[in-house]
Amino acid sequence: MATLTHDLYRYSHTIGFYAQNGRGFNNPVDVALGRDGVLYVLNRAGSDVELRMLYKRVTMCTLDEDYLGEFSSGGTEDGQLMWPATITIDAEGNVYISDEALHRISIFDAQGRFLGKWGVRGSGVGMFDRPAGLVFDQDQHLLVVDGLNNRIQRYTKDGRFLGEWGKGGHGPGELNLPWGIAVDRAGAVYVADWRNDRIQKFDAQGGFLASYGISGRGDGEFSRPSGVVVDGEGNIYVADWGNERVQVLSPDGGFLATYRGESGLSKWGESYFIANQDELEERRKANLEPELSLSPLDELREESASIEKFFWGPISVKVDDQGRLYVVESCRHRIQVYRKAPGSA
Amino acid sequence: MSQSDMALMAHLLRRAGFGARRDELERYLAQGYEATVEELLHPEQAPAALDDEDLIRRYHVDENSLMLIDSCQTYWLYRMINTRRPLEEKMALFWHGVFATGYTKLNHPKQILGQIAMFRRYGLGSFHTLLVEVSKDPAMIFWLDNKDSHKEAINENYGRELLELFSMGVGNYTENDVRQCSRAFTGWTIRDASLHTARVARDSVWPYGRLDWQFEYRDDDHDAAEKAFLGHAGPFNGVEIIDIICRQPATARFIARHLYNFFVADEPQVPAWQTVPPHDPEAIQTLMDAFIAHEYDIRAVMRVLFNADFFKNAQFAKVKSPAEMVVGTARLAGGHHFPDVDDITLALETGYMGQQLLDPPSVEGWHTGSEWINSATLMSRVNFASRQLADVNKPGVRAIIQRVRAQGTRLAPGSVVDICLDVMGPLTVEARTRQQLVDHLAAAGDVDFETNGDSVSAAERIRELLQLVVATREYQLA
Repeated sequence: MATLTHDLYRYSHTIGFYAQNGRGFNNPVDVALGRDGVLYVLNRAGSDVELRMLYKRVTMCTLDEDYLGEFSSGGTEDGQLMWPATITIDAEGNVYISDEALHRISIFDAQGRFLGKWGVRGSGVGMFDRPAGLVFDQDQHLLVVDGLNNRIQRYTKDGRFLGEWGKGGHGPGELNLPWGIAVDRAGAVYVADWRNDRIQKFDAQGGFLASYGISGRGDGEFSRPSGVVVDGEGNIYVADWGNERVQVLSPDGGFLATYRGESGLSKWGESYFIANQDELEERRKANLEPELSLSPLDELREESASIEKFFWGPISVKVDDQGRLYVVESCRHRIQVYRKAPGSA
Repeated sequence: MSQSDMALMAHLLRRAGFGARRDELERYLAQGYEATVEELLHPEQAPAALDDEDLIRRYHVDENSLMLIDSCQTYWLYRMINTRRPLEEKMALFWHGVFATGYTKLNHPKQILGQIAMFRRYGLGSFHTLLVEVSKDPAMIFWLDNKDSHKEAINENYGRELLELFSMGVGNYTENDVRQCSRAFTGWTIRDASLHTARVARDSVWPYGRLDWQFEYRDDDHDAAEKAFLGHAGPFNGVEIIDIICRQPATARFIARHLYNFFVADEPQVPAWQTVPPHDPEAIQTLMDAFIAHEYDIRAVMRVLFNADFFKNAQFAKVKSPAEMVVGTARLAGGHHFPDVDDITLALETGYMGQQLLDPPSVEGWHTGSEWINSATLMSRVNFASRQLADVNKPGVRAIIQRVRAQGTRLAPGSVVDICLDVMGPLTVEARTRQQLVDHLAAAGDVDFETNGDSVSAAERIRELLQLVVATREYQLA
């Protein structure tokens, strides 16, 4: 399967390893790029039994897989997480996390100390029903994707309600279980309109500007897009979750490239095999990219479940100012990092 | 529409599905019994089983990766509750009990869930095709060691169980038949068996979770030499062995007894079948005849079964399995339609009641009927059902209360008990049990929805009654 249409990005390396706690991830759903090269990786970690509450956490590490620590855990108390969905960071370096089970936003400082929270379940002002995507706009106000309420809400950093837009539907500007959200340098807002299989672009006030994509598997088409981010040139990166791929669109929404994933071993993975040479030996003898005969109905997902290098559950995308693309895979407990190809725009 | 029509339709939906709410039963009754049987027999003509399966994967991220057994169990139970193809899912549960494949040995629950999906695809088709697919199923190949059966070194586990537990039953073949059968399935393996065996041995989920397995046929490891099997001779491969197996009257009888035990009435367990005759030999013969006449077509056998008097007369002749108890009660109470944090309790509770889905206790599957019940599991069943009905705001509970209220704003306790028993089944309880329910309700007088703004109290009293009803002996029966 082709993994790249335009030579925009090249695979760099992988960060990650399945871990119940400590060094590694557990069903990661998002990453935030903090100060001083710190990555904050948000682990949702099912199933939701008492035994696994400690698996839910934020892992702090670097791009080079230095493990720095972790904070929070599963639960309903202040500072705990149940269904954490997305994570973002404000200009001061504080960390904001949405929670789809507790219907609230929790705030931590850069070291993970709990600072505060707001939100209860509901559809009124200041209420959420499964809050998902988070992003700060140019005024350092927090935009919250209010999933089941099919709207975007805007708050000050301390949770004071400023406004909202959006309603349920499939027309222009309408939303159906939206998930990820991004802001570009001009202040425009992009929403992964998950169940409408499209990305919608709004102005900073929430006025509808454009819609990109339709349902499908072709170039520029989407199946349940979950994450979206925009780079400095205005290119749009989409975690095309249901198609198990990442797509890149030009600033005007034209298709540029698609990536299916090409992960190798992470440093943490390599260290596992140092201690498990017999398993490594079996891996070397095996064909890790077999030809598969799969039902068209679920072939992409099943292909991802069989071939380790492919994205499986690409749920969130982020870009940094060094031209790197980060793809978080919830089912493979890792982040694939890509770099801009030499000579690409 | 008579009361007995409603009772019969409810019976059909308890057996061919996981129970139906009253509004669903009314729709089925409007089209008639035989038409409903046909609808159930053709899930491929129904809408997709779930309205939007992506919802599960979005909110339960662990049910997207399916790495953990309780995630896989919860996913399956969610499907059972919400499926629009009830018999397809019930057949999958049935075959899971017959071709019992367990997590404890495989350490790969998603792979067993893949086997369940295979049962959905083939469970109502030709038994011949089903046996071929079972023989190619990676989870089964690992479970019964067929990956370790080689041309020069036969492993007889799969060959033996194919005859003993999957088709004919003990006493209908010889040890030599087992060996010849096993030889025919050499070369039926999984790709990169050595890697997957190493990973399973240490339950390795590293570095990035599990890897799915694939069937592989290796001609170079297949024993293609002459074999003598059940009176036939030839250089048989697995499919030809299955041809012969399906032609055996013992196979027809074995499958008929399994179907009767699961769908009609509790029978002695499989190990006793060699010596204990069926309770209803004529019914077994009827099912055998259908199996043979329709060339092993399971759909045709099920059509005969559901339309037979022996089925219609077998209402409440079975103890609900834990899966039936959990799914049926969840459907009755409403809820679990949209993914939520507490969905995991469905899997936990089914296990507490003695049925770890995807991890049966042995290759023989679960022992059923009264063996589901002991003091601990009974307590779990009652507590679970009672908790499910504890909330008057749940859609199913609210619907029952509204049906009671539709009969009048002030109702005598006896009437309320009868209405609730009717809507919850219809359920017939012993006279003594009914009187206890009436006495409990009567302690606070008539159920009054209006006087003194008492409707909240009336709803709560009915909710309490429903919780008592699910604690009765009769509610344990399907």
